[in-house]
Amino acid sequence: MTAKPATGITSLLKTAFINALIALVLFSLMVGIRTEAGPDGQLTYWTRFGELASLVGAVFGGSIVIELLRQWIGPTSAEKLVPPAVQSGMSFIGRYLAPALLIFTVLVPVIFYDQRYILDLAILVLTYVMLGWGLNVVVGLAGLLDLGYVAFYAVGAYSYGLLATNFGWSFWICLPLAGILAAFWGVLLGFPVLRLRGDYLAIVTLAFGEIIRLVIINWQELTGGPNGVSGIPRPSFFGIPLDNSDEGLAARLGIEYSPTHRIVFLFYLILALALLTNWVTIRLRRLPIGRAWEALREDEVACRALGINTTTTKLTAFATGAMFGGFAGAFFATRQGFISPESFTFQESALVLAIVVLGGMGSQLGVALAALAMIGGFELFRGLETYRMLVFGMSMVLIMIWRPRGLIGHRAPTVYLAKAEAISSDLVKEGHG
Amino acid sequence: MTSAPTPLLAIRGLRAAYGKIEALKGVDIEINAGEIVALIGANGAGKSTLMMTIFGKPRARAGQILYEGRDITDVPTHEIAHLRIAQSPEGRRIFPRMSVAENLQMGADSTECTDAESEATLQRVFALFPRLKERYAQRGGTLSGGEQQMLAIGRALMSRPRLLLLDEPSLGLAPLIARQIFDAIRTLNRQDGLTVLIVEQNANHALKLAHRGYVMVNGLITLAGTGTELLQRPEIRAAYLEGGRHG
Repeated sequence: MTAKPATGITSLLKTAFINALIALVLFSLMVGIRTEAGPDGQLTYWTRFGELASLVGAVFGGSIVIELLRQWIGPTSAEKLVPPAVQSGMSFIGRYLAPALLIFTVLVPVIFYDQRYILDLAILVLTYVMLGWGLNVVVGLAGLLDLGYVAFYAVGAYSYGLLATNFGWSFWICLPLAGILAAFWGVLLGFPVLRLRGDYLAIVTLAFGEIIRLVIINWQELTGGPNGVSGIPRPSFFGIPLDNSDEGLAARLGIEYSPTHRIVFLFYLILALALLTNWVTIRLRRLPIGRAWEALREDEVACRALGINTTTTKLTAFATGAMFGGFAGAFFATRQGFISPESFTFQESALVLAIVVLGGMGSQLGVALAALAMIGGFELFRGLETYRMLVFGMSMVLIMIWRPRGLIGHRAPTVYLAKAEAISSDLVKEGHG
Repeated sequence: MTSAPTPLLAIRGLRAAYGKIEALKGVDIEINAGEIVALIGANGAGKSTLMMTIFGKPRARAGQILYEGRDITDVPTHEIAHLRIAQSPEGRRIFPRMSVAENLQMGADSTECTDAESEATLQRVFALFPRLKERYAQRGGTLSGGEQQMLAIGRALMSRPRLLLLDEPSLGLAPLIARQIFDAIRTLNRQDGLTVLIVEQNANHALKLAHRGYVMVNGLITLAGTGTELLQRPEIRAAYLEGGRHG
């Protein structure tokens, strides 16, 4: 913080007045005028100046309080605010959070076996964890802002859906095919956008996501158009169906059949897929290709000077990210049993991107936590009904204020000196000398 | 300095342009193995463009770039680094969010060096710039300007180049730090036999360091000679030395 805190009653009132003015402009139409359809269909409206005045007044008073608090607390840093004991506790938690989370996740079906709702939610969260990790390769590592990630999710889902319903191929054959097809589309998207970065890239990828969706809607003969693809086979336990028949897994194991078996199986399936994504990403980060992705995010010119083929580097990033999206899509199709274009709107892309950004671009644990917070949180606020989006949006704004680099902004280095004699980067503050 | 039979890098009649603006209008330069050659000139003379054109960005419109007698004018940019030509670009361009170790590793990644060779090169870089060893685990962006320059040179050295292109290594550095950088370049040249092309606005330093120098004005080489010769030329003194506060 370099800005000097303004003091004095005039500046205080000025800030509050400006905030109140903004609130007045914003709320004058939203709150000040209430419109409704009259009995004969005509538009009736009436004014609500009382509510408007109280809102503006609240903003005025609130900004004075906030400003006073800020001056009273003064410029403090997190180190001063957080006592050392808590800090060491935090670092302890930080070290064991990921393994603890993993163990807990593995045990979820055991703990919540009877609670179908929680199991379904856990599968949903894990799907988004996987999508987040997949997109993280493109956005977090390679720094290519992709707003059309849902396209690859859709390609994966339709690949499995169509291959399984038309040819009767099993999930385990279709899964790699879905990944390969999605990766192919990733490369196809990659070629035209090779020269683009940042905002321009975002716009083109956004359009790409929409194109895929529109093609799916309009190519009726193949995709069934808006009606979608139904009757997609459920996954089998390596050929053994998970149903109530004599051939089913329950009958073969000699245990009583329960529909929960399939849910539990789906849970472990998506967990395995997500962990595969994570493992591959972690491995790739330590290889030259992963380092090249990260270097590309930092400085493209320097990459070229160092002999990195930026074309193949970008394309592999797109393809890898898309492949994981395709896997997730295939899982989505087998879980739902029915897919339609409605599931692959821009909102999904935005949600996955929000998970990656919120988690801290490039951090695997951060993305997992963000997916839990976003999807789980969204469900948590279900009781708030209309105010759900408001609470949700507000909490996101707050997180971005407090942790602008995402929940976990720390980036673990991938190259170490044989003998550790260097000081940790955590001990040194960033400066631009 | 007598010129060797085949120069390591020979540039003949090189032309390059950004759109309609011609930045290089027929440049001829020769760099012999084991030499330090300085290229000096004012802002916008085309010095950095020449560096970039050697790396194929922008592509040459006319002329030839010969490296060890081979025409590399049309070789793709990323393959040029594999020919053991390394570049420390203008403005350093290190990777700020990656650690010093990773920055250095990036230099070695694109080469076919064995691990043992890379390790030896790393130790050589640390011997030249001990500060990098101290800062090994730090993020590149947390380094000071001088340290970032050391990192940029170190990263270029990691590919075990025969020819090192340095674009304004003293830009924005305190005189003491700039001297350290120049000393390191001299050491590299004398002890490791590295050939260096150095682009500088700091003409005094660069010409004292270099065996030979070229002066570039408006996309053309106007003067050439040994470093000491050029330093004594009255027009050089007037244009690049006494006007500034160097010396």
